Amino acid sequence: MQERSLFFADRERWVAVEFGVMLGLLGEGLMLTAQIFVVTLIGSLPLGVVVALCRMSRFAPLAWLAKFYISILRGTPLMLQLMAIMFGPYYLFGLQMGPDWKFIACDIGFILNYAAYFGEIYRSGIQSIPRGQYEAAEVLGYTRAQTFMKIVLPQVIKRILPAMGNEIITLVKDTSLAFVLGIAEMFSQAKALAAREVSMIPYAVAALIYWVFCLLIEFILNRVEKRMDYYHD
Amino acid sequence: MTDAVSARNACAADAVVTLEGATKSFGANQVLKGISLEVCEGDVLAIIGPSGGGKSTLLRCLTMLETLDGGSLSYGDVRVCADDGGGRAIYGGKDVIREAKTRFGLVFQDFNLFPHYTVLKNVTDPLVSVHKVAKAEAEERGRELLRKMGLSGKEDMVPCELSGGQQQRVAIARALAMNPQVLYFDEPTSALDPELTREVLRVIRELAEERMTMVIVTHEMAFARDVADKLIFMDGGQVVERGRAADVINAPKHERTRAFLSGYAS
Repeated sequence: MQERSLFFADRERWVAVEFGVMLGLLGEGLMLTAQIFVVTLIGSLPLGVVVALCRMSRFAPLAWLAKFYISILRGTPLMLQLMAIMFGPYYLFGLQMGPDWKFIACDIGFILNYAAYFGEIYRSGIQSIPRGQYEAAEVLGYTRAQTFMKIVLPQVIKRILPAMGNEIITLVKDTSLAFVLGIAEMFSQAKALAAREVSMIPYAVAALIYWVFCLLIEFILNRVEKRMDYYHD
Repeated sequence: MTDAVSARNACAADAVVTLEGATKSFGANQVLKGISLEVCEGDVLAIIGPSGGGKSTLLRCLTMLETLDGGSLSYGDVRVCADDGGGRAIYGGKDVIREAKTRFGLVFQDFNLFPHYTVLKNVTDPLVSVHKVAKAEAEERGRELLRKMGLSGKEDMVPCELSGGQQQRVAIARALAMNPQVLYFDEPTSALDPELTREVLRVIRELAEERMTMVIVTHEMAFARDVADKLIFMDGGQVVERGRAADVINAPKHERTRAFLSGYAS
């Protein structure tokens, strides 16, 4: 570091350049963070529906299986789950996975974990819809699929939005757990920068970026909530 | 089953609803103990009786929200279920059930409007989604029904913006939209205060004047006496007394009916 500073005439410019390098590295990390975030949502939002439907199934073994799945995924640390998926293929089957496996393992771990949480939120929403809504729809002749899609689902979405917001914001910060798989997401980058420069500043900047990320999500969720505010029940 | 015999009031044309020997149990608790009734076109039938007497269960079985254990049920020529001879009700297939569902409408005690739909869409969506009526036609019909219910100008509101009485009138419009042959009411004013009750009863009275066929479970004795032609008093899962509404309410024959009616100062 010391010799590089000789290229610059004054200390301020050197600091500015260092700061730029740091932002660049954190930005690269943010890309990976955002990628984990988006892939997790794309996978777990629909998978959660499957989990919820299985959990509410009248076929007891299926409901029991879903209950067990939810219990395991909520009852063990996500960090441990990520490591189990990362190293499971080798320790269980002696499989040598390629260099990209850590990214795939990370996505699988996040999707499976978040589907368990989303599934329970969906279930709470579906079960909170009064029986009278189903009965009115049934008497009027709606099919079961129509009843769910037209009558139940729109009301469920409104009811679960706050809980979903909570979970989605938690996900933003949970992406930092990808650190344990050696994925250079934003937290890993901040940690490396902090160690190299013996400074807290990379951490502070990373924290600020996480917060802005979450602010953006809050903004979007607020918009959606406002749009559904035209009625209450 | 003398009750089944007296239940036959021999409609001029085919009965709109025919129920015979209906039984229903929840676990060990037998809620319906062989109920028979016949509703003719233009009839207004009131069903009264103490809570837990089986009135609501009867209505839920008639509207197929519950299935009968035994007995038979028909809507005109549509045979919903028939007794297999051994006291078990055998239900018809999907097509029969779907056809039967077009024959009646049900107005719930707590309205059960769809809160996320506007008033107009509450009335028109079943027409469009279930009966495949063109949207413009459904809306025309919806507006007309809402006007009749005294709800013009409320089409684009959502149910939560309306009073309970208005909501119940929307529910009546919704039930009427598909031209049912019979309209069921399950204690339609029990969730309303006296003033809102009056406005809902007025609408039902107007329907009665138009000879709409209706079956009304109610605790409003004066209303039942004035609006219904026929009346059934139910208790303990059985029909204790039946007859012309005014006769039963003014001069009940059965001791149990008298005791029940004496609780009302009507």
